[in-house]
Amino acid sequence: MKHTLKYISSICLLFSMFMSYAQENTATPTAKETVPVKSQTVATKSEVQEVVKPDSIKTDRYGLRVGVDLYKLTRGLYDKDYKGVEFTGDWRLTKKYYLAAELGFEDKTTDDDRLNSSATGTYIKGGFDYNVYQNWLDMENLITIGMRGGFSTFSQQLNSYKIYNPNPYWGEQPPIVDGQKYNGLTAGWLEVAMGLKAEVFNNVFVGFGVQLKLLLANSKPEGFDNLYIPGFNRTYDGSFGIGFNYTVSYFIPIYKKKIVIPTNPKTAPKK
Amino acid sequence: MKKIISLLLVFTFGLSSCEKDDICDPNTPTTPRLVITFYDANNPSTLRPVTNLKVIGKDMKEGIIFNENATDESKYLTSGSTVSIPLKTNDNSTTYTLILDSNNPNVAARNSDVLRFNYTHQDEYVSRACGFKTTFALDPLSDGVPVSRPFVLTDGDSNGLWIRQVYVKNYKVELENETHIEIYF
Repeated sequence: MKHTLKYISSICLLFSMFMSYAQENTATPTAKETVPVKSQTVATKSEVQEVVKPDSIKTDRYGLRVGVDLYKLTRGLYDKDYKGVEFTGDWRLTKKYYLAAELGFEDKTTDDDRLNSSATGTYIKGGFDYNVYQNWLDMENLITIGMRGGFSTFSQQLNSYKIYNPNPYWGEQPPIVDGQKYNGLTAGWLEVAMGLKAEVFNNVFVGFGVQLKLLLANSKPEGFDNLYIPGFNRTYDGSFGIGFNYTVSYFIPIYKKKIVIPTNPKTAPKK
Repeated sequence: MKKIISLLLVFTFGLSSCEKDDICDPNTPTTPRLVITFYDANNPSTLRPVTNLKVIGKDMKEGIIFNENATDESKYLTSGSTVSIPLKTNDNSTTYTLILDSNNPNVAARNSDVLRFNYTHQDEYVSRACGFKTTFALDPLSDGVPVSRPFVLTDGDSNGLWIRQVYVKNYKVELENETHIEIYF
């Protein structure tokens, strides 16, 4: 069941990736076509020059983008074992680089075959994103590859467990209710984050991202293990982990930088 | 660029679905059984195989299966020099009847002795897939107050004991690759 769910979500994700690609592909040729048309009008009509000028000069807007992870937020509605929220933020440093951070809280009950445990805690992730997407004109879409360092402080509660007995001559023992709580746990990890953000309305972006994680430090409780780390998600036997988010964010423009597009032979006068 | 991202995505999903997670590896040491080794009472340093020993837990109808391939009564029998028997994981004592020569058509020739093991048990975390295991510590031999015995040997029928002596080799029952109890007969 878990596996099928994983597959379905994986396939959905894959499709959404292609869909977004398709949209961009259709969007870019139209943008391409408009450019020569406009430059022609520049040559012929002088009174439309006022309208055309912004095209020859590219204005990059710099500022802060703040958002929230809708996946975590809505998961609490249908999954009774999960409560969580994640706020995201990024600050545009240069043309391509963004400082990025995420701050979140998660409360997750994990029900495995033999163990039932809850993990509760907050986490912070910080790092950078690099925008590999070449935007046309004033579009501000992003396809990013980035790195993050993550840190989480959390507590774990072992709710119940089963004894693994390969020789159940005396019968299978029912689950044992424990309730032991392990406080003050911490974990640190590295992430490679791939993301996509598209501006759907003025300054409003939707995006999604996947993260590959590598657990570096993990304070395991005495006599138990960290089965779920807020921010890192489920742990595996190794130190590998994955994550996913679906964000809606708002861009707060703070200042602008004008860049003359080098492909345009005309040096347009400043506004 | 698209290729790189697609590759990374495929890589990610590949990893996430191949990760072994929910199956407990049979080689993982989990709840151990009590390992009993049989020795010759007349020559204590040599192993002595039992003949058609059947081990039945108290209040149980069936004996412990030693030979899984057999279909008839013989699957409950062993003629080796060592047996491994499970202890109750939720109790502090387990009682077994050890019937020597149990398939002898002459009922009078069968000899059953009752061994009761007293212990404390502790649950220990193993892994996500395996959950917890229980390990045991046999009660120490003490005549003081309270009296404690690692085992109690009684006669199951009225034809005397076939077990001459029981010796605790290992009070801690944590692994199955060592002998915990030695029986001399």
